[in-house]
Amino acid sequence: MEIIEEKRGELSTFKLQGRLDSNTSQVFEKRIFDAMADGTKNVVIDFKNLDYISSAGLRVILKATKALKRENGKILLCAMQDYVKEVFEIAGFDSFLPIVPTLDDALKSM
Amino acid sequence: MTLQTCVSFELKNSLGELSTLCEKLERIGEVLGIPRRLLFEINLALDELFTNIISYGFADTSEHIIRVRISAENDLLTVVLEDDGIPFNPVERLSPELPCTLEECKVGGLGIHLVKNLMDEVVYSRCGNKNVLTLKKTIEKN
Repeated sequence: MEIIEEKRGELSTFKLQGRLDSNTSQVFEKRIFDAMADGTKNVVIDFKNLDYISSAGLRVILKATKALKRENGKILLCAMQDYVKEVFEIAGFDSFLPIVPTLDDALKSM
Repeated sequence: MTLQTCVSFELKNSLGELSTLCEKLERIGEVLGIPRRLLFEINLALDELFTNIISYGFADTSEHIIRVRISAENDLLTVVLEDDGIPFNPVERLSPELPCTLEECKVGGLGIHLVKNLMDEVVYSRCGNKNVLTLKKTIEKN
């Protein structure tokens, strides 16, 4: 998996490419928590080029969401392929995680 | 007579084999003519079950082989997953209550919940010293 990270002040945008599974989720978890240790309070995750997610990937996003909320921060997910979105829906994560159609939409609401 | 095509492969009990699983499924998807979305769902179901098996299934640290067999007959796809780990029936595990809020959300059991929802049928049996899981799914071509 490739992770592109862009940081503007307290906002970090992570663009994911490839597969977020048990093999790659720890790397992503470290990147998010490193960013938070470095002052990030708000996070946008761009799923446009993410082809695959498993429950290991969902766990990282849940953990990050809880940690950001404790810091009164915000998280937004965007540009998911429909079968990736289906995984969030089956898990019930779409009821508390905001998912918007495009990266622009996400950045505008931050 | 209907045509039945069957493909099988083996995985070792190591997380690195998740990429082997993905590569094998890409090939099998072409051979059996499985649509992309279904291939994604099969990959996810096998990923969750395989990750469970190698995380909790073996009491020792030796190498084990997990066998996967995929067959297609008419519009029915059957996937059989076989391991020689400790007896474990994931079908028995109740799905977690689906969370409505972030605070309620727990991560345990999420993988099995995904498998049950993605597949039409999940059946467990213990055969000798093996766990055998049979997954069934209708192939919807569009």
